Amino acid sequence: MFEAGVREYREIYWTPGYHPRETDILAAFRLIPQPDVAPEEAAAAVAAESSTATWTTVWTDYLTTLERYKARVYDLEPVPGRDNQYLAYIAYPMELFEEGSVTSMMASITGNVFGFKAIRALRLEDLRIPVAYVKTFQGPPNGIQIERDKLNKYGRPLLGATLKPKLGLSARNYGRACFELLAGGLDFTKDDENITSQPFMRWGDRFEFVMEAVRKAEQETGERKGHYLNVTAPDCGQMLERAEAARQLGAPIIMHDYLVGGFSAHQTLSHWCRRNGMLLHVHRALHAVIDRQKDHGIHFRVLAKWLRLAGGDHLHTGTVVGKLEGDRGTTLGVVDLLREDFVAADRSRGIYFDQEWASLPAVMPAASGGIHVWHMPALVDIFGDDSVLQFGGGSAGHPMGSRAGATANRVALEACVAARNEGRDLAAEGTQILEQAAQRSPELAAALDTWREIKFDFESVDTPDVMPA
Amino acid sequence: MKLETFSYLPELTAEQLERQISAIVGRELVVGIEFSTAPDPRDHYWTMWKLPLFGNADTGAVLAELEACRLAHPDAYIKLNGYDAVRQGQVVSFVAHRPERRV
Repeated sequence: MFEAGVREYREIYWTPGYHPRETDILAAFRLIPQPDVAPEEAAAAVAAESSTATWTTVWTDYLTTLERYKARVYDLEPVPGRDNQYLAYIAYPMELFEEGSVTSMMASITGNVFGFKAIRALRLEDLRIPVAYVKTFQGPPNGIQIERDKLNKYGRPLLGATLKPKLGLSARNYGRACFELLAGGLDFTKDDENITSQPFMRWGDRFEFVMEAVRKAEQETGERKGHYLNVTAPDCGQMLERAEAARQLGAPIIMHDYLVGGFSAHQTLSHWCRRNGMLLHVHRALHAVIDRQKDHGIHFRVLAKWLRLAGGDHLHTGTVVGKLEGDRGTTLGVVDLLREDFVAADRSRGIYFDQEWASLPAVMPAASGGIHVWHMPALVDIFGDDSVLQFGGGSAGHPMGSRAGATANRVALEACVAARNEGRDLAAEGTQILEQAAQRSPELAAALDTWREIKFDFESVDTPDVMPA
Repeated sequence: MKLETFSYLPELTAEQLERQISAIVGRELVVGIEFSTAPDPRDHYWTMWKLPLFGNADTGAVLAELEACRLAHPDAYIKLNGYDAVRQGQVVSFVAHRPERRV
């Protein structure tokens, strides 16, 4: 018989003995309950409201089997060194989510629960995506090895630069800035995230001038070049129209801003890229609103995992050494999640679950934001070959101009790669390696002089938990 | 003409080239040699100089093949590739000899 009323969530959703199934999606939430709410009840509320329950019993509960569909809190642990803060582990049956839809997963797991009154703060730290669910996604349109094979670039990180000033250049002048950087030795140039199709430079004009610059730089250097043409648009129809125009102009790569554009738009584009053999560079504007605060929001590793499922060939991850937020271990954990086929749980890097990707193509991390030539040894050391290092200001800010700036970065990069291959320690001998290379490169010498003392030493806001010894 | 990795550095000396090759064979990559007299950025298939050196861990053997290729094709650019069988692709590739830098 239906008994109306309100039951505690923990009666149904707190199941500490539960062993997660291989096909469950697992979530690790950082949870701060309100002072008078028991942690088990707060955690159960998260499981309940992100799966089957609402605040009161309803007669229609009896028309289904909650045992089959409910999410379960299967573990709860206090965070060391933090008062009234817990990690809640929740298992979701795979059937709760639509196949191949990040949007579906996101709507369930990060729906109502983040605004729940009984919870003071909540952060989604990590998700384990089971192989069975991974296999319902296309993933990156191309992947790292295909990109290298298409563009004929091996054994070193790729080099890029965002064109500056971010806003206000005419299409023809913009193409000039692009040409100088590519001819000087960069592999890619990039639209900044706020370049779409404004009155000062409409997308069609930009695409034409930029692709002329790309072709001419290829002829001059004998190397493949590309420009991330941003196709982020007001609606999906226009997004695809811009992508198609880029393809017809012979562009090897386009760009999308996946969080502001939204996952449904992004997956539409990612599938289009797979069908059309187009590389897809992915920007992450908005991410710091969601991921920067340690106690509330969604960690970037989850946003990165979602991107690998939805599909992208490059994703911005932070630089560790530049102007933007990012703890080293945490950033490298995200880099592994993008590049490796299997990543083991490692709490010191904030990775709560083993993750198998089951041959889903890999995403190249893009390091961008306040980096310059002095950072090169550290960047090559930290990110390795399979990365794109992007020097915007660090190229166009060169005293002899963009082309010299690009050459300085390319010389520095190749000197670091050659030295690393010879067994030299980039972390310890970086300065020496750069200064030695600068003896044969006036461009590098001038760059080293310009940015000698520029550092960004601030403490990270988002750091891993202190683990008990 | 630049032609990708290491083309922005001064020509590798004999010792530097040897150390780069040691690094490739040290990673247990399979070395392959290719040559072309008309390099083009969109040309993925230069002519192979024999088959890749499967199972070879000897830097000297690679240098000897490079030299043999250079003598046989004095006007060619010669590329050195490192194949990774697990990843099923090249992971290293650079032009190890240019005709204009003839010894």
